[in-house]
Amino acid sequence: MLMPLPILPTTVVGSYSIPGWLERLKTEFYARRISRRDLDEIHDTAVKAAIKDQEVAGIDIITDGELRRDNMIDYFAERLPGVQIDHASKKFHYDFYDSKVLGKLPTAPLGLVDDFKFLRAFTEREAKFCVTGPHSLSKRIRNEHYPSEEEFAMDLARVMNPELKAIAKAGARFIQIDEPCYSGFPDDLAWGVRALNALVEGVEAKIAVHICYGNRYGKPSWEGSYQYLLPRILDAKVHQLTLEFARRGGEDLQLFRELPARFELGIGVIDVKTQAVETPDLVAERIRKALAVIPAERIFVLPDCGCLHLPRDVAFAKLSAMVEGTRLVRKELKH
Amino acid sequence: MIVQLNHLQKKSAASTTKEVVDTFYSLLEEGHIEQEQFARLRVQLDWIQYRQNFRECVMATRATSDVPQQFSPLEVHIDTRQVTPGSLREAILRTMGNAADPPLPGPEGVLLENFRSFRESIAWGFNRLYWHRLADWEQFTGRGYEQALPGGKSDANHPAAVADCVADFWTLLRDLENRKQLPEELFVMEIGVGMGTRSGLWLDRFHALDRERGSSYYPRLKFLLGDYSLATLERSRPAVKEHLDLCSFVVLDALNPLKNLAFLRHKILHIHLTNVYDNLPDEEFARRDGRLYAVQVRAYIPMADAQRISRHLEIPEAEIPGTVNRLVEGGPDYLSDRRRGLAFWQEVWKAMRLEERLVNLDDLPGISIPGDLRASQLEDVLAQAPSDVRFHLSSGALESFHNTLPLLHPRGFLQVQDIFVTNFNEYRLGFHGPGKLDGSIVNWVNGALLREVGERAGYDVHFAPFHYRKGSKTSILYTTQRE
Repeated sequence: MLMPLPILPTTVVGSYSIPGWLERLKTEFYARRISRRDLDEIHDTAVKAAIKDQEVAGIDIITDGELRRDNMIDYFAERLPGVQIDHASKKFHYDFYDSKVLGKLPTAPLGLVDDFKFLRAFTEREAKFCVTGPHSLSKRIRNEHYPSEEEFAMDLARVMNPELKAIAKAGARFIQIDEPCYSGFPDDLAWGVRALNALVEGVEAKIAVHICYGNRYGKPSWEGSYQYLLPRILDAKVHQLTLEFARRGGEDLQLFRELPARFELGIGVIDVKTQAVETPDLVAERIRKALAVIPAERIFVLPDCGCLHLPRDVAFAKLSAMVEGTRLVRKELKH
Repeated sequence: MIVQLNHLQKKSAASTTKEVVDTFYSLLEEGHIEQEQFARLRVQLDWIQYRQNFRECVMATRATSDVPQQFSPLEVHIDTRQVTPGSLREAILRTMGNAADPPLPGPEGVLLENFRSFRESIAWGFNRLYWHRLADWEQFTGRGYEQALPGGKSDANHPAAVADCVADFWTLLRDLENRKQLPEELFVMEIGVGMGTRSGLWLDRFHALDRERGSSYYPRLKFLLGDYSLATLERSRPAVKEHLDLCSFVVLDALNPLKNLAFLRHKILHIHLTNVYDNLPDEEFARRDGRLYAVQVRAYIPMADAQRISRHLEIPEAEIPGTVNRLVEGGPDYLSDRRRGLAFWQEVWKAMRLEERLVNLDDLPGISIPGDLRASQLEDVLAQAPSDVRFHLSSGALESFHNTLPLLHPRGFLQVQDIFVTNFNEYRLGFHGPGKLDGSIVNWVNGALLREVGERAGYDVHFAPFHYRKGSKTSILYTTQRE
């Protein structure tokens, strides 16, 4: 039986700290020094540890830490039928493959459902499953077939949609689509949202879209203002926008004062691009800023982005501070 | 015995080599060298570095270990430029005595410290003193530090190089503007400003280009001049006097600019350094027969020099180490008479030598590698390197690089002009440094390790030879965003 969610639910954006030993072992795998079977077992063990860390930190909605994934593109590129990958093009596991699509993508299961089932089997917390969106995938997988990026993204959405439905059918009540590349290519937003809508069409789950300014190598890929999202993002058929506000200072929160009631707002209150651990008081202050803009019932609390670039002890401390800071605000709301 | 010849350029190289080999054979035949010693000898005959350095004509480097190794390395380094006719045999004999097992107490001289990593050596104390008391040094020697550079001036100030850098920067701004991502404030930083000449040239050129192209970027510029010496920053002001409204002078530690400038994380669009990395504390590693060693040093003054300094400045030999420590901590005024203090400083610096030994890394469990490089990552890099290689760890440069990159705006770029070894194979072609440049240390920088640190921080690192001046030994490191 799942635990009920409190007001201001805490969650993570997806990835958890990747231990140095796991990086090393992934590299060993690419160097053919350990087997696929061994790596799978290593991943299982690492995921269980990430689940436990999130539970102990007190996170309400957890993920599998995405520790099976080399990065946010390749895990999907490898599973998408019709995407050709140059396996020699990677130096570190975290690098992107040189991947390309030469013909129309066929439809086939992507094998993501098992990841969710594994997560579900090892926690009684609410669980979230995260998927990279078609716009971001289309920016990194080289298109040598479709007449335009938009058509490529729409077809990616068509192929991935049944997988999302299967994940929901397997019990996922919360699915997050990651679309950081919106911020790098704001002119694409109109078709990016169309592709997003095609991806989540008919998926029976709460859908969030996470849009940040990039987190490759623990640094932003772009800078700017979320002003570009409005009003087009309101066409997205999702329930929640998950945005980064901690590192960027929270000024952009004001842009969402008029956010329609059908949207929840996931507010980033932890800066994942610095190892300095926030205090619970600072987290509480950031949440209060958001409360001045949007009611508590529509706020989810989470880090700016994934924690994959943080050392494990720092990631754990940050998540713990986030939970503690949220509890401080919850107490205030009760009075 | 292995004789390593990498970089002998002069015609006399063959005869010098022959003399060295003949000398070692005769010492073997005469019983001055054991057969076992001879078998594990590595003789290095060349050394790419500045003419003024920390080496004697012949010096030995032996390996120490908690676990005695029967065939641990025994190296003899011969600086062929210092060899004088007839002196070689005696110098080798003297040095081989010091390389005996167990080792003799030390070189014939006055020791200034115990064995330690080069980056912790008192040599770097002299380097710091030089930059903090540069004006005193220049007044005493009667020449500016730029005159000590090869060619008598810094490549950093080459107008064409500056103009190209400005053009690249302007193009970046235009691209950001086209993407509607141009920040309101345009931060640029020069670290290690010298006399401010390059900063002044850069600002002049940028102002002119901005006017030519009508882009109105210049008023939005925030130009930071960073240096760890307040005195240097003061000296740089006149060079940028036409742009003072845009300039900020920041005292910062080149090893960690982020410490003072954390508020500018991800905001600086361009950062430039010239001849900074080659002057940051360094240490060296060597791989011999598959094992990795740290090179430890201890500074000393050769006995003849110590006696001369003692006579000249009326300081007993036994008091030289303590006087050196006081000099490094308190400056030349500490010796009651500034002129005497300056003379002591110059004499000791000129005479100072570094004795070396190799310590197996297994015996140094606490050793850390800067730049967030894990030992396993270093092993990965070394997998591509020659099997027997001695290399700079470039600790200070790695630390500085690692702590500078986070200041860059996501689309920003870093340029570093310096003397780089750009890949490990270049170490086959000789070992580069360290040397003495006027009162400072100059050392080649391990670009291969910088590339590794850069890649893990999200930047591809490239090196371009400095083509603006024929014969220049410098290269320009520049970063591009890694996808």
